[in-house]
Amino acid sequence: MSHDSTLTGSEQNLTIFKGMIHSARLRRIGLALGASSAMFLSGCASNAPQDTWQPKGENAEKINTLQWMVFPLAGIVGVLVFSLIGYILWRFRDKGQAIPHQSHGNPTIEITLTIIPALILSVVGVFTFRGIFQLAQTNDTQMVINVTGQQWWWEYDYPAQVVNGVEIAQPIITSGQLVIPTGTKVLLRETSRDVIHSYWIPALNGKKDAVPGRINLLRIQANKPGIFAGQCSEFCGLSHANMRMEAVALSPEDFATWIANQQRNAESPAQATLADEGETVFLNQCIRCHQVNGLKKADGTAAIAAPDENVYAGAAPNLTHLMSRNTFAGAAFDLLTDGCRKNVWSAAPEEFGAVYLKGVIADCLNQTNIRRWLRNAPAMKPMYANPVKLEASDGKYRGMPNLGLSESDIDKLVAYLSTLK
Amino acid sequence: MAIIERPTPADTISLRMPVTPAQSMGIVRRPVTSTGWKSWVFTVDHKKIGIMYGVFAMFFFIVGGVEALLIRLQLAAPDGKILSADLYNQMFTMHATTMIFLFAMPMAAAFANYFLPLQLGARDVAFPRLNALGLWLLVAGGLILNSSWFLGGAADGGWFMYSPNSGPVFSPSNGVDFWTIGVQIAGFGSLVSSINLIVTILNMRAPGMTLMKMPVFCWMIMVVQFLLVFSLPVITVALVLLTFQRSFGATFFDVAQGADPLLWQHLFWIFGHPEVYVLILPAFGIISEVLPTFSRKPLFGYPFVVFSGASIGLVGFGVWSHHMFATGLGPISVAAFSIATMAIAIPTGVKIFNWTLTMWGGKIWYSTAMKFAIGLIVLFTIGGLSGVTHAVAPSDTQQTDTYYIVAHFHYVLVGGMVFGLFSGFYYWWPKVFGKMLNEKLGGWNFWLMVIGMNMTFGPMHILGLQGQPRRMYVWTEARAGEGFFNFGFWNRVASLGSFILAIGILIFLINVVHTARKGKPAPLDPWDARTLEWITTSPPKEHNFDRIPVVHHLDEFFHRKYQENTTTGEMVQIATGAQLVQAEEDNADAHIHLPSPSYWPIAIAVGVGTLGLGVVYGVPIMIVGVLIILGSAFGFVLEPSVADDIDYDPPMSGGQDTKELAPLG
Amino acid sequence: MFTTGSKYYFGVAGLGSLGAVLYMVLVNPCDVGVLALLGIAIAMSLVGGVAQFTDDFDADTVSEAVTASASAPAKSMWPLLLALGGVLLLVGMTAKPIIFILGIVVIFAAGVEWALQSWAERASTDSAFNRFVRERALSSLELPLLAGGIVATIAVAFSRIMLAVSPQSGAILFIMIATAVLVVGFLVALKTNLKKSTIAATCVLGAVVLLVSGGIAGFSGNREELVVAAAEDHYSHKECEAASSEHFDKNSNNAVSMKSGISATIRVKDGKLTAQLIGIDTPVQVVTLARSNLTTILFRNLDDAQYRLVANLGTQKVGDTGVEEEIVDCTQMTGKDQTQALILKISKPSASSGPYTLTVPGLEGQEIAVVVP
Repeated sequence: MSHDSTLTGSEQNLTIFKGMIHSARLRRIGLALGASSAMFLSGCASNAPQDTWQPKGENAEKINTLQWMVFPLAGIVGVLVFSLIGYILWRFRDKGQAIPHQSHGNPTIEITLTIIPALILSVVGVFTFRGIFQLAQTNDTQMVINVTGQQWWWEYDYPAQVVNGVEIAQPIITSGQLVIPTGTKVLLRETSRDVIHSYWIPALNGKKDAVPGRINLLRIQANKPGIFAGQCSEFCGLSHANMRMEAVALSPEDFATWIANQQRNAESPAQATLADEGETVFLNQCIRCHQVNGLKKADGTAAIAAPDENVYAGAAPNLTHLMSRNTFAGAAFDLLTDGCRKNVWSAAPEEFGAVYLKGVIADCLNQTNIRRWLRNAPAMKPMYANPVKLEASDGKYRGMPNLGLSESDIDKLVAYLSTLK
Repeated sequence: MAIIERPTPADTISLRMPVTPAQSMGIVRRPVTSTGWKSWVFTVDHKKIGIMYGVFAMFFFIVGGVEALLIRLQLAAPDGKILSADLYNQMFTMHATTMIFLFAMPMAAAFANYFLPLQLGARDVAFPRLNALGLWLLVAGGLILNSSWFLGGAADGGWFMYSPNSGPVFSPSNGVDFWTIGVQIAGFGSLVSSINLIVTILNMRAPGMTLMKMPVFCWMIMVVQFLLVFSLPVITVALVLLTFQRSFGATFFDVAQGADPLLWQHLFWIFGHPEVYVLILPAFGIISEVLPTFSRKPLFGYPFVVFSGASIGLVGFGVWSHHMFATGLGPISVAAFSIATMAIAIPTGVKIFNWTLTMWGGKIWYSTAMKFAIGLIVLFTIGGLSGVTHAVAPSDTQQTDTYYIVAHFHYVLVGGMVFGLFSGFYYWWPKVFGKMLNEKLGGWNFWLMVIGMNMTFGPMHILGLQGQPRRMYVWTEARAGEGFFNFGFWNRVASLGSFILAIGILIFLINVVHTARKGKPAPLDPWDARTLEWITTSPPKEHNFDRIPVVHHLDEFFHRKYQENTTTGEMVQIATGAQLVQAEEDNADAHIHLPSPSYWPIAIAVGVGTLGLGVVYGVPIMIVGVLIILGSAFGFVLEPSVADDIDYDPPMSGGQDTKELAPLG
Repeated sequence: MFTTGSKYYFGVAGLGSLGAVLYMVLVNPCDVGVLALLGIAIAMSLVGGVAQFTDDFDADTVSEAVTASASAPAKSMWPLLLALGGVLLLVGMTAKPIIFILGIVVIFAAGVEWALQSWAERASTDSAFNRFVRERALSSLELPLLAGGIVATIAVAFSRIMLAVSPQSGAILFIMIATAVLVVGFLVALKTNLKKSTIAATCVLGAVVLLVSGGIAGFSGNREELVVAAAEDHYSHKECEAASSEHFDKNSNNAVSMKSGISATIRVKDGKLTAQLIGIDTPVQVVTLARSNLTTILFRNLDDAQYRLVANLGTQKVGDTGVEEEIVDCTQMTGKDQTQALILKISKPSASSGPYTLTVPGLEGQEIAVVVP
């Protein structure tokens, strides 16, 4: 364990403490800690995308340090108490001894046994206190992203700002996958359009609720390029289980490339192709809710989505760069085939940016998923999308309804959507 | 009903009470029968009410258990198909609601009702008819809650029912309406009975029983009742606001109208956290009786246990926001509540140590009751220690709303509360029913429950730390991970464990049936017990004690049986339990008056239930409900506590409902 | 004096005359109603006089007097109240519905009381028991209703006072009254040997003071600001010009205590308009706001001049008419070092009818662009 000279004194203490735990002897003791050892061990899991014991960034590491303090401590206390109980149960079993003396207690022992846990807890308390305030720090932020929860997906919009010398001239709007540069302190400003959701990427930080009417701040930072899984962790209704998110960390150079691509408007496909017909279907159906920047109606005017007229919370994912993200419908379903997905998730940090920025190329497009979705979305992901049952929300959907598209329309749409890189 | 007059020959008073003008008041004849269903439905006897609480709670324990098994079946494999998303959400909402409001609280009320007067040396609770009212309100609430399954779907917002998700748009079915009404009515019942029990404890202790000579069970029940009195009004306010929002268009939690949805969370948890102690403290009380009995030693540090219980109750009101660490409270609040939460671990630790040291130097008898009590200490400690890990707020932000929390509170509630209640079943069954539960089946029951419970909830620690959030109707292979700690394996283990746990509980039910049919009669003092409830027959007579005992010691019954040899310090038996009971019978009190049964508690409960349904289904039904309540309330107010002679069948008529009169002399 | 039976008739006669006078004052002095009421009064005094003259219920013999006193009904005010109810009913029918309703309530209450009292009096021969029975049956109705009435009266009277006095004196009054109640309560609690009548007198005194001042306050009406505010409707009508608006900017509210949920802070300093976002150090000229979200923007003025922040949020169609109207929202006038909040919910992206801007009238040529993706 190297002691970084920039660490403050107590941080060093914590690091040393953590180092001790890593040492083989204590670890062996830890393994014997009954049920709590199970929690302890879970740090060893390989390739667990939502493991809370594999921090990949500064904030999660701070939490992890505290976890490495309190879990072993709890384990040791547990072992001591259980050994005592076990000893008593064996030693004082009924062996025919006389009825014992009716003693009512021993104040010295009682007070001692009150003070010891109090002391242990006050030590834990001091570190907890520090940790809370460290994690709440936001004044050295380098980048801001607005994160908005809605049943059952996340929207990310990047305000105009300069990040690592790269200017985001026009705001970027995307969903499903949050793309951030590595080594940058990113501040998420979370809110919600309908119910309470909770944003949680375990590898980057603990969770923070997205509460309608409030803006909650969550700081994340990723050390290396990679993709990190997360899951909405506040119960948010029917499809809570299908409200997922992924955070993608790109090196600053790759991030600049990504930004440049996101600022591009979509271009209409070449005339008289399947994709061109798909654009017409899109203009007839999808544009009611889904925006594609740069899309023009037949008369040449800009096509503007009006989800506020059809969706209860008032927004639907912007699809301008759909194929630059690997998932859709609240990151619940893959746009990539299994093989291609694996390539992305298992890419080494140095290659990751290149693999990710390829986006969803034709060979990798998961035709099954996207066609099933277009055929009947609510069957794939439970949503309030049955027009008959929408009395309470004035007929507005929560989620995507079954559009009743014909198979040929679906072919055309898939062709068109594939052009949205 | 139970009016016992034993006039001495010198006594010249008439056996029949003087004819009072009460007859002319035109009240219907009172239900004075002592047999048949009427003797249960209209009873005001705390023991019968206690048993009915128990039966009711056991029924809903099974209902909630089946719901839990369905949940575990759904989650046994990825992308479960047993339940739809909608049904799953209803299932986990109702599992929690049923277990908390319809099993845990009523079962604790069953023990409190039955044993509180017996342990205090009282003939009944302070307000017997209110006691019945509490029970029937709870039944009304429970029926309304569960009727929603058949009337358009149960509530689907989680037992915490966070707004705005519980609002009319996001939860359009009637389920949430039934839920708010049902919980309000059940809560009303709990409030009524908690006031009753507080008054009973403070006013009806036997002569000589100071508060510090009161059994720990009574102490814990008293703390619980105070917690209820102060926390139930808060949830009632929240539920009324929610009802008004859903049924009458109010906007208390409507963000578009400027409301802050966190208001609900604060109100809910100001109730919800004390509620946790409401659930666990009765179990603490039970094992604080069981451990000394089977260790043959008094409780180690009685005042410490009592005051740690009281301080758990007190501090329990100051930690609610630790359920809200992720809601963006700001670092100062988070730090304050984090520290307060750690502080509450101290009195809890004190209890663990005191129980452990009670066994030190004892003579431990491993009966099934004792096994469950020891099980509680161990399993609750695990739950308590995992609780400390999320008192560390930053660590909690990784754990909250994951299965780690599910594991934590099931260790506390199943390992703690349920084991405590089962310990109570085995300990007090002979007292209540006069028959011993089978100890061999009890052993199977205990070990299957221990194995099942650890297999079910132990793996959930792993699942949670691997990042599996709660309340998801499916989990997916894509996020399951690989290797030893993948979701798939441990979810299967948990599901398997839940069925082992269910078999363990099933064995208890088999034991109950077996005991009822072939159980051997219980001796008067089967466990060599320590407290006053054993100084009477099993089951106790309707008037509990032939003579109100006079108390000189903590553990009075034990000290009447054993005396310390002043020179050797050994405990010498000077009497058996049976002899003591006989002595009481021989010196029975001459005048024992108990209140008569009444129609009105259940009639009021019917009215309240109708009113509740009216909130869902329309004003006319509400009016009917109000009229029933009004009429029954008048009946309640007007009837005298004791039935008039005219309500009984004439002594010679051969009718069932004759007055119980002791023979002259 | 008056014999038992004649009291009722004289009572009705008196009330009839009272009703006639009230009717003349409130409704119409020359109307058939006056005649009817006077007729009742005259007829009743006639019957009452006859009853008085014939000594209707006075006992003739000693034995009759003894029998009568043994079963003598207790004194009762219900007949009188019932009659009053009847009068109110009649007056209300012709005058005001509220009096009519009052009449119904009085008749109902008196009827129930009368019926239950006479039932209780026949319950047994024991008059103590009879009183007990009556109280048992009626207290559960009377006490809650009485308490409800008292609470309602206090609330109404107190609220009238609070609405009539200025906010500042209202606060002082509130503290004084609360202190007085507390002090009196303490004294009563401390002095256990205090006479019941003393306590009752204190309460009555307090009640009278409250009722009288409440009545005066009720008649004198609400304080001026409230009347004016309601008449001008200045809470809903926004005027977003550079000049101070007479109505909209009256009583401006500069007490913004919001800490969470602020999307952007707009400042005016040295005549320059800038926007500040949490997490971005340098001031910006472009603000991004998520669509369909409640968004709070703070406006902070650091200059001497008064300014307001105006949000120009494109256009929308008015109903089905096809006419486009501009969507504009603004804060009140904000003085030096003061802050106001602007709460917006923008449902259309700025690409649809934008560009959206935040401007400050008086600082021409400067604007903060609002992008709604």
